[in-house]
Amino acid sequence: MSPSHHLRRLVVLTLALSAMSTLRAATTIIRGPYLQSATPTSMVVRWRTDNTEPSIVRYGLTRTALTTTVKAEGITTEHFVHLGNLKPNTRYYYTMGAEPVARPAAVGTKKVGAATPAAEAQDGPGRAPTSSFVTPPESGSSQPTRVWVLGDPGTKGDTQRAVRDQYYKFTDKRATDLWLLLGDNAYPDGTDTDYQKAIFEIYPETLRTVPVWSCLGNHDGKSANSITQSGVYYNAFTFPTRGEAGGVASGTEAYYSFDYANTHFISLDSHDSDRSLDGAMMTWLKADLAATKRDWIVAFFHHPTYTKGTHDSDKDSDSAGRMTDMRQNFLPVLEAGGVDLILTGHSHVYERSFLLDGHYGKSTTFNAATMVKQKGEVRADGVVVYRKPRARTAHFGDINVVTGSAGHAGSKTKPPALNHPAFYISLNEAGSSVLDIDGLNLTLTFLNDQGEKRDRFTIIKE
Amino acid sequence: MSRRATLFVLALLSATTSCAHPEIQDALDRLTTALAATPNDASLYAERGELYAQHEDWLSAEANYLRAAELAPGLPRLARARGSLALARGQVSAACRFLGQAIALAPSDPTVFILRARALARLGLTPDALADYTQAFSLLAAPSPELYLERAALFASPADALRSLADAFVRLGPVMSLQLRALDLEISLSRFDDALTRVDLLTSASERRELWLKRRGDILVLAGRQAEARATYVAAQTAIAALPAWLAASPDTVRLSTELTRLATTSP
Ligand SMILES: [Fe+2]
Repeated sequence: MSPSHHLRRLVVLTLALSAMSTLRAATTIIRGPYLQSATPTSMVVRWRTDNTEPSIVRYGLTRTALTTTVKAEGITTEHFVHLGNLKPNTRYYYTMGAEPVARPAAVGTKKVGAATPAAEAQDGPGRAPTSSFVTPPESGSSQPTRVWVLGDPGTKGDTQRAVRDQYYKFTDKRATDLWLLLGDNAYPDGTDTDYQKAIFEIYPETLRTVPVWSCLGNHDGKSANSITQSGVYYNAFTFPTRGEAGGVASGTEAYYSFDYANTHFISLDSHDSDRSLDGAMMTWLKADLAATKRDWIVAFFHHPTYTKGTHDSDKDSDSAGRMTDMRQNFLPVLEAGGVDLILTGHSHVYERSFLLDGHYGKSTTFNAATMVKQKGEVRADGVVVYRKPRARTAHFGDINVVTGSAGHAGSKTKPPALNHPAFYISLNEAGSSVLDIDGLNLTLTFLNDQGEKRDRFTIIKE
Repeated sequence: MSRRATLFVLALLSATTSCAHPEIQDALDRLTTALAATPNDASLYAERGELYAQHEDWLSAEANYLRAAELAPGLPRLARARGSLALARGQVSAACRFLGQAIALAPSDPTVFILRARALARLGLTPDALADYTQAFSLLAAPSPELYLERAALFASPADALRSLADAFVRLGPVMSLQLRALDLEISLSRFDDALTRVDLLTSASERRELWLKRRGDILVLAGRQAEARATYVAAQTAIAALPAWLAASPDTVRLSTELTRLATTSP
């Protein structure tokens, strides 16, 4: 490093230190708080401030008694505080900082069920707002679970907001327990600014009350690198790498797994990790599938196994063969492991399959007679019902859902073909998916940006 | 028309072809518009080349890199990009040359060391490749398991491979993909006690102990410790009996149980 660099660093450091002593009261939270790596007994709280300060979270069982304080080492603008020894399935109230700090800049959003709007209104200006979260229930327990699933949301536009607002209206007082981002979270390049505008300023209330999980999309991959676990996506998120949230230790945030109640969630990296049959991700996946005792297995990754939406899974050149890799290499392993549901994005449409098994080729090789395990019975309320045995059975069938339209749908003037024979329904509509798991019933609803429930299916285990 | 000029025209053509790369079309359009405004901006050509490279359109990538090199031969990102492209196209010696330049320009970029390590390994220059991996590992906060496996595969001796994984367990914890590789290596070295220690660690961390107990039994058989193996298979059966009924009834578990019964009774 040159002497001028040293001098510049010294000046910056001096300025930072003097800013700390004189501007402490003016410190503003510019990102978050947001909740990561939730387990029944722990939670990671993250946020960003405009000035460096200590990372402190005060929390407790009631809003008026934030009796426990956790302080991370050092001073920083990127705050990361791990709360441990929590009780499962319990609401905790929390705030950041030992001293009052300013409220984040207001952005137009509605509350999601988990927070208590009336109580939050009591926070005066200049204070960090007190938020709350509920820890996950003990792994293996059975409890109604609501999961909000957003594929390719980050356009920062009106459609993204409409999709969000329709979900908030739909879920209303029903708390969201967790939410999944299926990649391409922040267009166009997954930069820090893209993330700020497309995620942190669009969903602030959900971020501070509901733990969020993600997988890497190609647009996120423009500013991130899986093999070095570096870049914006990896800096923004904290995911379990040592199996601490219920899965087998992956050693990387690029792919990982976690439990919520009686469901095992698996996040794969279809974009930037080795997708070969003998790669580390595959070895880990096989072990992870074999190890879980949960009733339901839900896998999510960015690139769809099948699609005829804004991408075409029949073209090996589309997305540099990533869809083909996921279909030919990973789908057989997931199906052998008894996966129930596969959630993907990338294609900006909604496509939902029959209960399928064994389709690993192009759409021309699709054989409904052997690959459609159940077409589904349509119940009087319009819900399509599939049945599986509770005893986990390899290759009994799974449902593949492409739900990549939380930010925009395909072109209306030049609409996508939407003619893949594996799908029960294909829609060129913006929207998000709502996954409800209650004991041995798993229901997914596709909610479009007009608030219409455009598809609903249930898998019942018996 | 010179080769460069031809490639450049090709790049321009592919940059304006809207059907070839729908997933990067917006980004290509943005760069092409920016290039129209500042046609001598080498970094824009480099960026466009990287975009093509991500989508494995090597020819368009190269044409853009060549143009960038004409405009600004010393552009730091360019040497890395060209090295990466050459490696992807199997031009390994050229890759080493470009990546060497990239390292001189940015000696703290771990990605360049990883790329050059791969190139050197393909040239059979194993000690040099290992040195680059070591350098990359020292620059990374959290090297991925993939990288550890890549490096371990370079060692001719299983014992050296095993030693190279030790650092991963310290830095990343008991990563499953690496534990399984280490287990295979221990067995290949007939270090059965060490293999059993690894399996015991995996067993204690697992909710499905029966799977690892079966593996433990298999290792004991290899070690010639038949009586202990039989007892371990029985312990695996006990673990299955403790599973919830619905999981014990799953076809895979039933198959495992049948296999364990056979092994517990027929092992010599
Ligand atoms: Fe995508």
